[in-house]
Amino acid sequence: MKRIAARVLPHIILCAFSLLILMPLLWILRVSFTDRLTAYKIPPEIGTVGLMNYVEIFARYPFTGWFLNSLIIALGATAIALPLATALAYAFARFNTGGTFLRLGVLASQMLPPIILVLPLFGMFLFAGLMQSHVGLIIAHLTISLPFLSWMLVSFFEGDVARLEEAARVDGATRWQAFRYIAVPVAAPGILAAGLLGFILSWNEFLFALVLSGPSSQTLPVGLAALETHAGVEIAPLAAATVVSLVPVFALLPFLRKHLIKGLSLGALK
Amino acid sequence: MTLAADDRRLNDLPRAEQTAVERRDRMFGWLIASPSLGLLFLVILFPVFWALYTSVHDYTLIAPNFDTFNGIDNYTKALGDPEFRHTLWLTAFFVAAVVLLEFALGFLVALMLNSVERFKAIYYAILLCPLLMNPVIVGLIWRMFLHPSLGIVNYLLSLVGIDPVNWLGSTKVALWTIVMVDIWHQVSFMIVLLLAGLSALPREPYEAARVDGASALRSFWHITVPLMLPVIAVTLLIRLIFAVKTYDLVYIMTRGGPGVATDLVSYFIYRTAFVGLNIGEASAMSAILLAVIMGLTVWLHRYMRSLT
Repeated sequence: MKRIAARVLPHIILCAFSLLILMPLLWILRVSFTDRLTAYKIPPEIGTVGLMNYVEIFARYPFTGWFLNSLIIALGATAIALPLATALAYAFARFNTGGTFLRLGVLASQMLPPIILVLPLFGMFLFAGLMQSHVGLIIAHLTISLPFLSWMLVSFFEGDVARLEEAARVDGATRWQAFRYIAVPVAAPGILAAGLLGFILSWNEFLFALVLSGPSSQTLPVGLAALETHAGVEIAPLAAATVVSLVPVFALLPFLRKHLIKGLSLGALK
Repeated sequence: MTLAADDRRLNDLPRAEQTAVERRDRMFGWLIASPSLGLLFLVILFPVFWALYTSVHDYTLIAPNFDTFNGIDNYTKALGDPEFRHTLWLTAFFVAAVVLLEFALGFLVALMLNSVERFKAIYYAILLCPLLMNPVIVGLIWRMFLHPSLGIVNYLLSLVGIDPVNWLGSTKVALWTIVMVDIWHQVSFMIVLLLAGLSALPREPYEAARVDGASALRSFWHITVPLMLPVIAVTLLIRLIFAVKTYDLVYIMTRGGPGVATDLVSYFIYRTAFVGLNIGEASAMSAILLAVIMGLTVWLHRYMRSLT
């Protein structure tokens, strides 16, 4: 009896926990397919079911624009940060460039609350005419993705790959060739996964986008936050917009499962 | 971190050539690091210095210039402001609440997950879902659910005979509501990292304990907890630093209200700068926050080095 209880208890707790996580998500999915009046009904009713909310967010709100802005800015920041961070991470792993001090600096940059950076960036962008521009937002997002990627990629260059490089060096490869043609290809899957995580960080960023973007460069989170205020609480279209903006993130999830722990623990755990 | 193989090769060379190779390697390291370091300097270090410089000037959005140097005035004003002090206490309370509650729940779920084989992949896939979600979206959907009259949560509570709760409109409840939503969003962070730590624990101590007839509870206290301490420390510290930055949830769900009931420090600085238009004072508050975060980061870095 006691043994059966010990085997069932974890599943009871895990099921209850999973339901608490899953129910809100399923509820949003359900609301996104109901018409706007049914969405408000308490107790809940099954009204007409259809795709009208998905059509509406694209037809009535500048949803496409927000989506594209988010995409351009996240892709831009990641594309710039990834190669630079790869080189810095390699320098850290192989030559211990700058020692503990520089590593601590990069970790600290990553931990910096965005509110501390957004004030000076606001002032600097006003001065440089970068307010409300895509370029400005890409620069702002670099403050998040560059330290994150540099820190995370270090561990991909530690371990066996160093031995391969050594063999190539003996055969006459230069330092640069060993980096470019051995280390980077070997670490490529990890670099790619890190890039996806960097993309998601940028995709989800809110404060920089809120302060530094303008009507033509508004990102998805800023648009959604505004949608809620200027149209009252239109919960049916909002649910549809929520579902659409979650699609890219969930689509990427299977590709980065393996490296997620490393990313979340800032490389401390594998 | 020079390589063992590197050292061996270097040791075969005469002394002068050794240092020449080392110097060339060091140069190469700085060379490939320099584009990143240059950019980090431009987008992070320079802005931080700009903020520190602003914090000792009377710089407002009405008169955005550095004409008036005012020393530590902004700092004394900020620290003397009861609202800022309230905000610091509130943030400390919020951070302590989310970190401790998420740790307690997260450790429980991680232990359960570590003890099962069947359905483990399914449970794990489900708990990853909120983790990568945008905090803005998390705030928006929970605002819908928690609406006093139109929300599903109060309806479900009414089914079991509980009176409607004003989740976001009551000064007594609002902060705890934010804490609850944050737990829903972030508890999986704890689970994922603690589970990674648990599954890497060695098997032998547990077998030895079982042979000695130790109970499950005893082996938890005397084996699991001590072995997990470094992982727990790193997990808690990372989560703590990120919790201090909490901004999006407050912006979306309460705008710091009702009154100042959920006015966390990031949001308060935002208001001082962009509603109060006083960038100088907001920068002084930023600098105080910066000092706290830097202290925590140095601490974290020490633990991380002991882990690897």
